[in-house]
Order: sequence, then C-alpha cells, then structure tokens
Amino acid sequence: MIAALFYLQFHSVKNRLTMRFKRLKQPKYLFGALVGGLYFYWYVFRVLLGPHRHVNGDSPITTTSPADALFYESIAALVFFVFIVLAWVLPHKRAALAFTEAEVAFLFPAPVTRRTLIHFKLMRSQMAILFTVLFLTLVSGRFGTNGHWFIRAAGWWVILFTLNLHKLGASFSVTMLMDRGISTWKRRIAVLLPVVALLAFVLLWVGREFPKLTADDLTNPETIKAYAQQAFASGPLPYLLFPFQLVIRPYLTHDWLAFLAALVPALLVMLLHYLWVIRSDVAFEEASVEASQKLAEKLAAVRAGNWRTAGKKLKQKRAPFRLHPTGPAFMALFWKNLINAGNAFTARIWISVTVFVVVLSLSLHGFGSASSWPLVVGMGALMFAAWSLLVGPQVVRQDFRHDLQQMDMLKVFPLPGWQVALGEILAPAAILTAIQWLLIIVAVVCLAPLAKGKFSPGLVLVLGLGAALVAPMFNLITLVIPNAAVLLFPAWFQTGKDAPHGIEATGQRLIFALGQFLAFILALVPVAAVFTGFFFGVKFLAGVTLAVTVATAAAALGLAVEAGLGVLLLGWLFQRFDISGEPAA
Amino acid sequence: MIQVESLTKLYGDFTAVNELSFSLQPGEVMGLVGPNGAGKTTTLRCLAGIIPPTRGTVKICGHDLASAAIEAKRQLAFFTDEPRLFDYLTVWQHLNFVARIYQVANFEPVGRTLLEELELADKGDKLPGELSRGMKQKLAIACGLLHSPRVMYFDEPLTGLDPMGIRRMKDSILKRARDGAVIIISSHLLHLVEEICSRILILKNGRKVIDGTIAEIAQRYSREPGDANLEEVFFRATDEPPRLP
Repeated sequence: MIAALFYLQFHSVKNRLTMRFKRLKQPKYLFGALVGGLYFYWYVFRVLLGPHRHVNGDSPITTTSPADALFYESIAALVFFVFIVLAWVLPHKRAALAFTEAEVAFLFPAPVTRRTLIHFKLMRSQMAILFTVLFLTLVSGRFGTNGHWFIRAAGWWVILFTLNLHKLGASFSVTMLMDRGISTWKRRIAVLLPVVALLAFVLLWVGREFPKLTADDLTNPETIKAYAQQAFASGPLPYLLFPFQLVIRPYLTHDWLAFLAALVPALLVMLLHYLWVIRSDVAFEEASVEASQKLAEKLAAVRAGNWRTAGKKLKQKRAPFRLHPTGPAFMALFWKNLINAGNAFTARIWISVTVFVVVLSLSLHGFGSASSWPLVVGMGALMFAAWSLLVGPQVVRQDFRHDLQQMDMLKVFPLPGWQVALGEILAPAAILTAIQWLLIIVAVVCLAPLAKGKFSPGLVLVLGLGAALVAPMFNLITLVIPNAAVLLFPAWFQTGKDAPHGIEATGQRLIFALGQFLAFILALVPVAAVFTGFFFGVKFLAGVTLAVTVATAAAALGLAVEAGLGVLLLGWLFQRFDISGEPAA
Repeated sequence: MIQVESLTKLYGDFTAVNELSFSLQPGEVMGLVGPNGAGKTTTLRCLAGIIPPTRGTVKICGHDLASAAIEAKRQLAFFTDEPRLFDYLTVWQHLNFVARIYQVANFEPVGRTLLEELELADKGDKLPGELSRGMKQKLAIACGLLHSPRVMYFDEPLTGLDPMGIRRMKDSILKRARDGAVIIISSHLLHLVEEICSRILILKNGRKVIDGTIAEIAQRYSREPGDANLEEVFFRATDEPPRLP
C-alpha cells in the first residue's frame, strides 16, 4: 500500500515540475525564469556553489572554543525545549493530519490503515522539511558561514524532522487525553506546572551558586555570556537540556567525524519519536476532513488572489457612499472596489482621522521652540508621502489586479473601455490620495511654523497645496502602469491554479518592478520640464510663491493630461483584452 | 434578433469555432449542444463579447457586437455555469452595483421581486460566501435579469439548482421567451434542451453539424418515423458510439 502512496507523491512532484518546464516554452516564462534564476544564483545559490562559501578562505571549517560550543548548543537546546513545551500546551483540538481534499476523497474510503496514512503524511512532510532545510541552510550559510553546507543541511533536517515527529506525537497524545476527559486547561496546567517548577529550581540554584549580576554587568554582553556559560556547564541545566542537545548537536559540529558521532544519538532520538507516533492509535480522520476543508478554502482564497481573506471569514462591509442607480457607470466599479478595500474608507472616518491628526500635529509645537519633534514628524510625513507614490500602487490593489478572475463579468458590461479602466483604478487612487493628503497636512502643520527666510509659512502652504493637487494625478498615472501590465501580460498576474510560481514568477516580478520604475520616470520627465519652465518664467516676473503656484498648476494640468491618456490607453487595452489567448500551462 | 455570420475563433493553429452562422428571432429558445470540446462555451463567450472572434460578425438586436458593443451588450445577459460574484459584496449590493452599470433607475422594486421569485428575499445582507452553490447561482441569475435583457445566454443553467429551482428556472426561461426574449442554452442535459428549446444547434469540433427545430432534425436523423428522440439525434449527428444495451 505504501508503494501506491509513494507513487502518488512521486508523480505529483514529477508532474508539477514537468509542467513548470513545459511553461518555459513561452518566452515570457523563459525570460522570467532566466532573470529569476540569475537573481537566485546571485543572492542565494552563489553561497553554496561559488568560491565565497567559506568565510575563512583556506579552511572550509571554523572552530569555536568548547565553552562557546556548549553555550550555543545549550541556547539552541533551550529554544528546542520551548517548541516542545508549546507542542503540548497550544493544541486545543483533536489531532488532525492535513490532507488535501483529493487525498481525503481517495484515501479515507480506501482500505488503508491509519499507520499507512501516517507514513504517507510523514513522507509528504519531507517536501516541506527539505524546502525549509534548503532555505535555512542558505540563510545560515549567508549570515554565519562556518562549515560544510551538507552538515548544516543534515543538521537542520534532524532538528526539523524530530520536531515534526514530536508535534505529531504530542497531538496524538493530547487527543488521547481529551478522549479520557482531561480538559485542555487541566493538561496545560499539568504541563506548565513542572516546567515552571524546574525553571524556578534552576533560577534558585543559579542565584545561590553564582554571584549576582550588577547593573554594569547587565550592560556588557560578554559578561552575560560568560555568566550563562557557567550556568549551562554546571548544576542541573546540562542534565535537563541533555536530550534536546542530542538533537541539536549534529548541526553544530564542525567536521565529519564529529557530525557522524553526534548523528547516531540524534537518529536514536528520532527513531524513538517515530515509534511513538507510529504506535499511537488515535482517530484523526474526522478532524482531518475538517482540516482539509479549511486548507482547501485557504488555498482557494490565495489562488484567487485574496491573501488577506485566506483563512479568515469575510465580513459584510459598509458601503462608502450611497450608489444611485443612475449616473456615470464607472462609479459603480469605484464603489465596489472601495467596499472591497474595507470599512476604513468612508468620508466620516477620514474627516475624523484628519481632525485628530491636525490636532496631534499642532500639539507637537507645544513642546517648545527647541523641540525637534515638529521637524522630524513633518519631514517623516513628507518622505512617507513620496515613498507612497512609488510603493503605494503595489500595496493598494483593488483594481484590475484584483478583478482578473472576474474579467468575464467585466467584459459583458455595456461600458466603454475607458469607463471600466477609470472605475477600476479610481479606488486605489482615492485611497492613496487620501493617505497622501493626510501626510501633506501633517507636514504643512508641522513645518509651516518653523519656516524662515525664503521658506515663508505661506510658501510652505502653497507647496503643500501644490503637492495635494498633483498627488491624485500622480496616483492615477502610477496605477495605470501595473494595470496596463495586467492587461498586457495577464499570465504574469494570474492568480488561479495556473498562476506562475517559483523562480520564473520572481523573475517576472523583478522585470515588472524595473519596468514600472522606468515608466514612472518617463511620465515624470515632460511634467518636470513644464514645472521648471513655468517656475523660472514666473519667478523672474512675480516672485517664488506665485511661481510655485503657477508652475504647480501647469504641472498638475500636464499630469492630468497624462493620466487621461493613461486611462484611455488602459481602456483600449481592456477592450482588446482576450484572456482566452493565454494558453494554460 | 441575433444574427451570427461566419463566426470563427482560432487559438493559434487550433480552430475552436469554425464558420458558424445562424440567426434567431424573438421568442426563440435555441439549445446549443455538442460533445465536450465542441466549442459551445467559446461560442457563447464570443456571442457575449467576452472574447473577440477571429473572424465573422455577431449582431444583437441589430447592433454589431464589434463596432457597437455598448448598445449590443445593453440588450444581453450571460449566465455562466459557475456563478461569477464578488466575494465582498452582499446580495443587495450586487443588485445595486449591476443597476448602476445598466442604469436601471427603478432597480429596488425590480430587485426585490427578483429576490422573492428566486427565494433570496431574506438573504439581502448575506455575502456570497454565506450562500450555498444553488443560491449563488440564483443571485447571478437575479443580477442578469435585473435590466430585463432581450437576449440571454445560459451555460449549463441548472447546475447547482434544487428541484424547485430547476422548475422555476425552466418556467422563467419559457416565460421570458414568450415575452419576446431570445435565449440560447448550452447544456449536456438533452432532456432539458428537448423540453424547453424550440431550436437545436449541434456543434462538433467547432463546426455546425445541424441546426433546426427539434422536429426538423428528428426527421432528418430518423431511420423510421418517430424513432429518434434528441438523444438519438445527438449520437447519430455526432457519430458518438451508440448506447450500450
């Protein structure tokens, strides 16, 4: 029977990989894969494969003093101990093995023993564990390169698999306790009482045996470390942490001999865990069915692009305003997307927040003229507003990116393309504008009273008004770019089961981010030229304040024209959009 | 009311719909049938303006779907087999949204009547996630019917509906046809097609195999008078293997 399950696992992985490779026949995936591959090589794999993997040049292995080794081992064992305790304290439901819905449908009614199902689960968990091992090996290699990567990888595997087995065994034992009428709180108290008692015993012993740390000692990390080393090396702690150290030790070894010597007891601990898990006879099927349904719902939400709602129950959201049945139709899309954005985007809430923020900003001046708070907060608000221009459109995505799954519906609507495009990008533009206006208000309130010389309070106010005027146009332009990309390269944004994953998806995102930045700069150049021309022309005749006012108005007009053209372009792309032309992988 | 001329849809080298032509008059209900992969859904999506045809023209109430898409789309509704809903809008918010899109000034009484007819009257503040599969289907139907379309496309309309819902759906389709609407139903449920359609169009590999009234096509594929119901016609027309005894 296990052979059939192995067949299932093997072919699932193989077919998934084959599908990925087949995708590379499409240039967009191939190009994405190349860029993503280069990125991963440069930042990740070079650590393993390249010549820089050894920090110390000649020797691939560095050594630490025995005291240091014991210290690190004890710290790691303590962390492992905490995880073990949590595995007994946190669970409040019956043991549930997470299977996919297909696995539940095929395996649960089949003549398969529980033991076989556990074996299958353990086999399948290896994929996740090995991926985590790879990630952790790379991370620990990049930030603490001091040894063979294989020793690190194998060490991580021992730790993670033992922890996995222990969590599984603990969940089975917890279920057995529940079946015997022992409540969750009784069990938690039964687990935590001895742990607290042991902790108190250790602290008492340390307090009695070692001199107390002074306030100066507590500011010196080396003193604290030496103190801890002493505590870990004597008294009860070495005995208490010994079983956990056995699991940690292979990871911390520095040569093959030491690794093999440490591996034997670690594998023995793992074997005991395995026997414990495999011999537990606990009915996990019913809870597993429920868990698999939740997992499927979560996956469906993620695949539909709803990361926020994954695992959460959606709640009814208040409409931001009353939508009359007649009027410009694009407002319906704006209204819909604002509802999607959440309850925070109503006029009442924003007015309340603005009043609160203005009062708070004004109160900063109450700390006295010597206080730097107004300057810090004002400049911080300005920087955040500027940052939101570039990053905001990546964060606020209640537009085509969110509605890609609903394109069929949008295409049926009797609306010209530009109306759909405008309706789609208005909500994120409005949200970003509201945030930026709030930040501009904070900046003006904080900075205007500090203005001196050429930078008069009036000029600060004019600059603030100018920034507020151009912000919505900037947002519309920056939102046109990712939305146009969705319509031009829908497969790059696909959120369904055919969505790109892994290296090629990373590459695509990198290409896209660069493209968006370049497009933004290109849109900015003519407007900057207009602003500069008007500013110097008017300044020569009528002074700085009026020059800023006129130049900002001209720039805003230029941006409005660009935004309008962008919306028209987006509408044209929407009308030409044919999602059926995107072959599935 | 619907005129389709040489409709063709290509995906690269693959021809999904090939030179399809037909026309429908007010009150006609046409069943679009064919084996899996025959091009039924692609045809409906082209007729709804969701995907552009590679060649050919589609006219809805005299409006060309390519050059006068807005006017054409104002007249039609497309009901997919899988209801497409916004998971963050409530039932009533869906109707409000659709009303603004189609400019249905009196949507509130119409919407309430539709919800009552479809047994959703007490679900107005529910999100799609709180509705059963059948109720979602009913909500999609309510949204589609809100602007009183004159042309309706149904892709497997009975999927997920309970027996009462099926009965109401059939009655609703027939009532709207009697009122002058044109309806195209794509379905594998041949007994449904036979029961409510006045015309049948059988597609195979994107090509029209036959198009006519049930009586016409039954006559054409009968070996003896009266020996061919729609199921027999379907198998004979598409050269599918005969039923096992």
